[in-house]
Amino acid sequence: MKLSAKWVVTILLTIFSIYLVFVLNEEGPLRILFNLLTFAGIYGLAAIGLNVHFGLTGLLNFGHASFMGVGAYVTLLLIPHAAGREGEITESGLPFLLALFIGIISASLFGLLLGLPAIRLRGDYLAIVTIAAAEIFRLLVRDLESITGGVYGIINFSDSLQQYRPIYFENFVSRYELNPSQVWVGLLSWISILFVLVILKRLTNSPWGRALRAVREDEDAVRALGKNAVWLKLQSFMLGAGIAGLAGVFLAFNYGSLQTTTFVPLLTFYVWAIMILGGVGSLSGPIFGSIIFWVIISETDKLAALIFENANGQQLAGVRFVLVGLLIMVLMIFRPSGLLGKKEELLLNVK
Amino acid sequence: MSNNLIRVANLKKSFGGVKAVDIDDLSFESKELTSIIGPNGAGKTTLFDLISGFQEEDNGEIFYKDKNITKSQPYRIARLGMVRTFQLTKVFDRMTVLENLMFAGSNVSNDSLFQSFMQLSKQKKYENSLKEEAMKIMKDLNIEQMSDSYARELSGGQKKLLELGRSIIKKPEVLLLDEPLAGVNPKLAEDLLEIIQSLSNQGITILMVEHNIEAVMKISERVVVLAEGALIADGPPQEVRENQKVIEAYLGTGDE
Repeated sequence: MKLSAKWVVTILLTIFSIYLVFVLNEEGPLRILFNLLTFAGIYGLAAIGLNVHFGLTGLLNFGHASFMGVGAYVTLLLIPHAAGREGEITESGLPFLLALFIGIISASLFGLLLGLPAIRLRGDYLAIVTIAAAEIFRLLVRDLESITGGVYGIINFSDSLQQYRPIYFENFVSRYELNPSQVWVGLLSWISILFVLVILKRLTNSPWGRALRAVREDEDAVRALGKNAVWLKLQSFMLGAGIAGLAGVFLAFNYGSLQTTTFVPLLTFYVWAIMILGGVGSLSGPIFGSIIFWVIISETDKLAALIFENANGQQLAGVRFVLVGLLIMVLMIFRPSGLLGKKEELLLNVK
Repeated sequence: MSNNLIRVANLKKSFGGVKAVDIDDLSFESKELTSIIGPNGAGKTTLFDLISGFQEEDNGEIFYKDKNITKSQPYRIARLGMVRTFQLTKVFDRMTVLENLMFAGSNVSNDSLFQSFMQLSKQKKYENSLKEEAMKIMKDLNIEQMSDSYARELSGGQKKLLELGRSIIKKPEVLLLDEPLAGVNPKLAEDLLEIIQSLSNQGITILMVEHNIEAVMKISERVVVLAEGALIADGPPQEVRENQKVIEAYLGTGDE
C-alpha cells in the first residue's frame, strides 16, 4: 500500500511536470518536451550509473563527468569525425557499434585505473580524489589538442549514429515538426535505460548485489567475513563508469559537437541532483528524477517570469537556480529518501 | 608444533610512544577456549587486530597452522577459517537479518559478478541451502522472528547474536570474539555464554576478549592476562585468579 502510494505520487508529479511544459510554452511545446526528454534520458542513464556507485555500494564518486567524457571521447575519436582548429577530417573509422563498445570499455577501465589507487580511501577522501581526477581529465583533453581537438572540440561525427535512423521514423517525427536526429538520440538513450535497468535489476537482487550492499554498510565486517571488499568496490566502480560512458556518448550526439566544457563539475552535480531527487538506491528512481529535474531546469525561468514581471533574461536565469535550490531543500526536508527511495534504506547519512 | 594452532612470536605494536602490544611468544592450542583479559588499554583488541590482519605489526610474526600469515589481508585470513567479531558490533544495518546471514555464508564464487549475471540453477540451489542454514541459525539464536527486519532495528543484544550467527554460518575453525557480552543484559549474556560453550564443544577454537570476569572464569579452559601490551599471566582460570600480578594489574599497586 505504502509502496504504491510512492509510485502514484512519483508518476503524478512526472505527468504534472510534463503538463507544465505545455502550459508554460505557447510555441512548440512538443519540441521543447522532446528536447527535455532527450536530456532526461541521457542524464537519467548517467544517474543510474552513479546509483550503482553510491546507492548500491556507497562510493562517493564526484567525478562522474570524467567517466562520461572518456566514453564520449574514445567513441567519437574512433568513428569518422573532424577535430581541432582546422577541423581536420578523419574519414575512416570503426563501425559505430564497435567504437561504442570500445568507448564503454574504456570508461570502465578508466574507472579501474582511478579506482586502483583511490578506492581504498574512505568516503569523503574518495570524493576529493574523484573530483580532482575528473578535472585533470578535462584539462588534459583540453590541452592535448592534436588528439582531442582541444578547445575546438570534435564535430561532424553525427552521421555514424544517424545513418541507422529508419526513414519511416524520420517521416513520423517530422510530421510533428520535431527534430528527427535529436528524437533519435533520445529514443536510443531511453532504450538503453530499459536495457541497463533490466540487467541491473537482475544483478542487484543477486548475491553479487547483496555483497555490494554489505560493502556499503560496513567494509570491515565484509573483510572479516572473508570477502575481498576492494575487488567488489572496483567491480562496482567499473560497472557504473561503463554506464556513464554510454551516457556520455549520447550526450555528445545530442549536442552534435563535443566540447571539453561539457564535462565540467556542474555535469556531475546535475547527475547527483537527479539521483537524489529520484531516490538514492532506487533502480528506476533516476528516470523520474531526471524528467522532473529537466522540466524544473528549463521551465523555472518561465515560472519566474510569471512572478517577476519586469525582470530581464539574466535576472531570471539567476532566479532559476534559487528555485532549483529551494526545491531540493524542500525535498530534503519532506522526503529525504527521494521520490522512489526506501525510507528504511536512507543513504544520505553517510558515515 | 603439536597442537599449536596460532602462534605469535616477538609481536610488537606501538601507537606513538605507547606500547600497545609487546609479546615474546604466545600460542593458542587447537579446540581450546581461551579468554584474554586485562585492564582497559592492555592491548587485547590490538592483539586481535594483529592476528586477524586488520592492523599491521611493527615487528614480529604470526603463524596459523604453521603458515606465516603476518602480512596477510584480513579477508585472506578469514578464508583460512579464522573469523572475528568486533567490540562495537558491526552488522549490515540496511540489510535484513536473513541477508546478513546469507551474505556471510555465501562463498566467493557464488558472490561473483559472472554467476550472478548468469543465475544458473546451481546458484539458486546454493542460495536455497544457504537460506535453510541461515534459518536454522536464526532459530538456534532465537532471532528467527526478526529474519525480515532490517538489522538496525535489532536491539544491541540481538545485534551481538546476529554477529555471532554470521560467524557461525562461515563454519570457522577459529573464532575471535571481541567482548561478546559487552552491553548485553544478564539473561542474554547467559544465553550467549551457553552458545559460546556449545561452539567450543563442537570443536571450534575460541579466543575471547571479555571484561566480565565471572563469565570468563566460568567457561574458559585457559586465561591469558595482558597489561600494557605485555603478557603477565597465563594458565587455567583458578591459577590466574590467585596470581598476585593479576590482582595488582586490576586493582593497582597503590604506590603510584
